[in-house]
Amino acid sequence: MPKILTIEDDAATAREIVTELQAHGFEVDWAADGKEGLAKAIAGGYDLITVDRMLPDTDGLAVVGALRGMRIESPILMISALSDVDERVRGLRAGGDDYLTKPFAPEEMAARVEVLLRRRSQAGAEVRSLQVADLNLDLIARSARRGGKDIELLPTEFKILEVLMRNPGQVLTRTMIFEAVWHYHFDPGTNLIDVHLGRLRKKIDPPGTPPLIHTVRGSGYMLRENR
Amino acid sequence: MRIAEYWRTTTFRLVLLYGAVFLAAVVSLLGLIYWRTAGYMTGQIDLIIRSETRQFAAGSPEKLPEVLDTYQARDARHVNLYGLYSRDGRWINGNVTQLPPSLAVDGQVHPLDDYRLLKAPADDLVPPARAMAVILPWGETLVVGRDVTQLFAIRRIILYALLEGGIAITLLGLGLGFALSLRPLRRAQAIRLACERVVAGQLDTRLPVTRRRDELDYIAVTVNTMLEKIERLLTEVKSVCDNIAHDLRTPMTRLRARLYRLQQESGKAGRKTVKIDELIEDTDAVLRRFKALLRISEIEHGLRHQAFDRVRVRDILTQVVELYAPLAEDQGKHLVLKADIAGEIVADPELMFEAISNLVDNAVKFSPPGGTATLSLFEEGGPCLDITDQGPGIAESERAAVLQPFYRGEQAGHTEGSGLGLSIVSAIVRLHGFKMRLEGAPAGGTCVRLLLYSQAFAPKAA
Repeated sequence: MPKILTIEDDAATAREIVTELQAHGFEVDWAADGKEGLAKAIAGGYDLITVDRMLPDTDGLAVVGALRGMRIESPILMISALSDVDERVRGLRAGGDDYLTKPFAPEEMAARVEVLLRRRSQAGAEVRSLQVADLNLDLIARSARRGGKDIELLPTEFKILEVLMRNPGQVLTRTMIFEAVWHYHFDPGTNLIDVHLGRLRKKIDPPGTPPLIHTVRGSGYMLRENR
Repeated sequence: MRIAEYWRTTTFRLVLLYGAVFLAAVVSLLGLIYWRTAGYMTGQIDLIIRSETRQFAAGSPEKLPEVLDTYQARDARHVNLYGLYSRDGRWINGNVTQLPPSLAVDGQVHPLDDYRLLKAPADDLVPPARAMAVILPWGETLVVGRDVTQLFAIRRIILYALLEGGIAITLLGLGLGFALSLRPLRRAQAIRLACERVVAGQLDTRLPVTRRRDELDYIAVTVNTMLEKIERLLTEVKSVCDNIAHDLRTPMTRLRARLYRLQQESGKAGRKTVKIDELIEDTDAVLRRFKALLRISEIEHGLRHQAFDRVRVRDILTQVVELYAPLAEDQGKHLVLKADIAGEIVADPELMFEAISNLVDNAVKFSPPGGTATLSLFEEGGPCLDITDQGPGIAESERAAVLQPFYRGEQAGHTEGSGLGLSIVSAIVRLHGFKMRLEGAPAGGTCVRLLLYSQAFAPKAA
């Protein structure tokens, strides 16, 4: 069971994070300030750390910097009330792996945590193709096949499918998909992403095949084999 | 500046008015002098003529021709006119050869110009004169007159003085008017430019105030105080709005989190879960509005933090079209991109994408089924982007209002949206120093034009 450390001074937010992550089956520790957080992180063995950007004693950026300086390479999710683009860049540059703006939907936070944990376990391997069930995505030839049948994909659809297939079995929120495909960080609103997913689904899951793309009610999408 | 602009200034008009009044005063003064001088001189001449006539009449008839000779001999300047004629009109003596036909023989002095002089050619012009004719007690007719050329010379001098003086005063007035108007005109121009900046939304602009403390400065100071107050009020209203949005965001997020948990716990679909889904959707709509509202302030306050870079508008447009094309297609609408140029600009790519997305979102939303939303990038004094839809269009009177937060066009009806999209675009455009114009599209829809180049606030051609 992955162990997660949450460094967050606001008790209410901390409770939210802890509850949500526990609901996803993680073991969660909570540190209320930067000093305690650093001590716990060094003492160790966490698979992921969430760090609030503004802590009562130190800057969240400093905590991240210190952790990275001590070669603690656990993925870090920065959580901040500052949504400025600059802030995001600064957070990621300091060594954060992802950046979430307060207030956030808990499932969004959990989804990001899961993706970070998975990314870490995959790190290093040069991937040439992705395979989920009978769906294959060739990243070099940029082509997709399902059950031996070629699927014609538009560039955007290919990118979305790639994001989904890199994180099989994981919930990806609409915002996460939008960020991963378009590389912009704002709320595109309405049902834009749903429309894209709807089209992709028509091509990937034609009638008669077991569906691979699943809608997760209230959260987003997931690509996985139906068991 | 054109002449018309000078002419319209108060100073210029005042100077011209003063000039005209001065000219009138000079004309009447010189006229009065002429009138008085001429009157006096005429009086003197008439007096001499009358007294000479009286003298001649009082003398003896035999000696009169001799006396006339003596008088003529004494008259070195040849200004005196004499004529003595017999009862039947024959010339007897004097330098006037015949009794002038126009001269009434009534003992009164009259102006005279049709006489002939003795030693002059017949067609020679005679100088203007004044003369009187009397019948002497012994029956002969006597004409006594005087050349009044001098009087005419004076009149000419005065007329010329009037003419030359008038031209000089007029030119001086015009020149002075131009010179004196220059400064007020420049200040008016500066004030106008400042006002245009305010209208364009730069509420921190102030009107220029000089150290002279004149009437323009009074107005400028008052207007500046007014602007300060307006700015403060707006900031207050805005910060209250922002605070409300900011404060409500956290409880709303918690509410949404609870609903989400309920949704997750309620399991498979049923009537209750559908209601929860709807509640989550509504909460999301509220949160989206708060987010958009705070986004506007963020953009407006983020001026120095933004990452400006060289950006190709065409690339951004391609991305936006990729994002929106499926949505448009699903609704049976078309999204067309026409980009003849790459449109390289200096901008924050993230914000530009956001702005253009918002505009395309609107264009698609308001297009009727089967309609086309067009994005065209072209060069016109700089890169320009037109985003045109075939929707209901925006009435000219509504165009300024739609840029205000929360405004929804009347025809918008139940179309989904936060009502903040255009405000966000407006804030982004302002941050970049670009311009946005709302126009009617030829086909009846709306055309939003973005002028994607920073421009000084050039005065608009009226």
